[in-house]
Amino acid sequence: MSYQKPTINRVDFAMASKYGSPLKTQKIRENINGISVRELTEKYGSPLFVYSQKEIENKYNTLYNAFSSRYPNIQFGWSYKTNYLNAICNIFHKLGSIAEVVSEFEYEKARNLGIEGKNIIFNGPYKPKEALKIAVQEGAKIHIDHLFEINDLEDIADELGVTIPVAIRVNMDTGIYPQWSRFGFNYESGEAYEAVRRIHKNKKLYLTGLHSHIGTFMLDANAYKLETAKLMQLKAQIEADFGYEIEYIDIGGGFASKNHLKGVYQSPEVIVPTADDYAEAITSAIYENNKSEKLPKLYLETGRHLVDEAGYLLTSVWGYKRFPDGKKGYILDAGVNLLYTATWYNFNIELDKRYEGINEPSMLNGPLCMNIDIINENIMLPALERGTVLTISPVGAYNYTQSMQFIRYRPKVVLIDNDSNVHIIKDDDDLSTINYKERLPEYLELNK
Amino acid sequence: MQLNSLIIDENNMGFIPSTGATFQLNETGKEILSLLKDGVDKDTIVETLSKKYNIDEKELFIDVSDFLYKLKIYGFEI
Repeated sequence: MSYQKPTINRVDFAMASKYGSPLKTQKIRENINGISVRELTEKYGSPLFVYSQKEIENKYNTLYNAFSSRYPNIQFGWSYKTNYLNAICNIFHKLGSIAEVVSEFEYEKARNLGIEGKNIIFNGPYKPKEALKIAVQEGAKIHIDHLFEINDLEDIADELGVTIPVAIRVNMDTGIYPQWSRFGFNYESGEAYEAVRRIHKNKKLYLTGLHSHIGTFMLDANAYKLETAKLMQLKAQIEADFGYEIEYIDIGGGFASKNHLKGVYQSPEVIVPTADDYAEAITSAIYENNKSEKLPKLYLETGRHLVDEAGYLLTSVWGYKRFPDGKKGYILDAGVNLLYTATWYNFNIELDKRYEGINEPSMLNGPLCMNIDIINENIMLPALERGTVLTISPVGAYNYTQSMQFIRYRPKVVLIDNDSNVHIIKDDDDLSTINYKERLPEYLELNK
Repeated sequence: MQLNSLIIDENNMGFIPSTGATFQLNETGKEILSLLKDGVDKDTIVETLSKKYNIDEKELFIDVSDFLYKLKIYGFEI
């Protein structure tokens, strides 16, 4: 008989529900795109971020086909903040996406990758004037967030002696709570219309587009129908009153991924709308509300929906201990320093093989010497070994870009291409990464 | 609770008749309980299992300590 780690669980009959006993269920993932997770961590170290190009392309093509089969003029813009690793950005650019950026840093990153200014959408509430000027000179699509930005752009128009094409960002009630009203100009109060009147008054800028982003992880496709209808109604009103020709509407991003929001009972497979649901809601609202001879170009800034499920974090068990409440606490080599979104999502956590024995209530903690470093507070797991590799997913969106250099070095990132070749797309940090740009005043040097 | 009050059946289910508390064990857990009921001390349990399963004593010490701690949490006197 082979050895099993000794286990005893008090039987709580309340746990045996119509969904069955969680005492023996194990989620197992031995490989990603055919490559063993054990081999990956042995070769590239643990923890390790892994991205699948195949999964990115599948998601992109599914969403693009859902829209292009319904509407003739579609353009995706890759949301840099969702994931701005160069390799990831370029996968999207090679698929046909332009860039959607929200800071001068992201703008520079897109330019550095070879994206022309005219193929960059410049969003965000804070656009330094110098960055705006460069964006104007390079022909970027500038989406105005507030009245100060109108003033800044008019100054730049004077300085350069040009008239600048712009879009405004519009916020609105689409039945979603909480309503995102922080960005752009409000629709219902007439603030958005007033912003257009203000732009029109000085004739230094001219309106070519309307943009809105109603929220993130949107589980109701109908909210997009309302958003699109309102943008189309505003478009018709502006064209009639000011004579502008609005060339495009940009409905932003926010499509959900198959991640599991904390506090949501149903599984993502049940509640997350499909690509067709989103596409039908948006394109039908354009057709129903269009009053022009020409249909506007439709921009989407989808981020999370396209990349979240293509990202995995491999992490290894370093040790375990028993807490006084009886729960087993596993110490992993990856924590909230790498999984910023652990605050909101219950990730899918899979084991590298089947482990003998019964599950017991466990907690997954990261390596940080911080009490908040919790990946999962309540999970039923069999007795794991030191070195067990766990695959955490989906983590492709917002985790690497928001990961922190904190307490430990950040790990390598690899990409599995369509032929199952593995490429390092970012090396792990070391002391030189951390010390880069630090300066130590001479009088504080030791041994001097 | 006395360890001797825990009755374990052939399916590794443990039951304490006086309280109705029920436990699920695995083979090794059952084995350790049996040794404890015979009065065997922790170090000897580690030694015994190490020889039987050919596993490093230092590794087994962690697993046995964890198991004994959980018994204490459940209120067993050991």
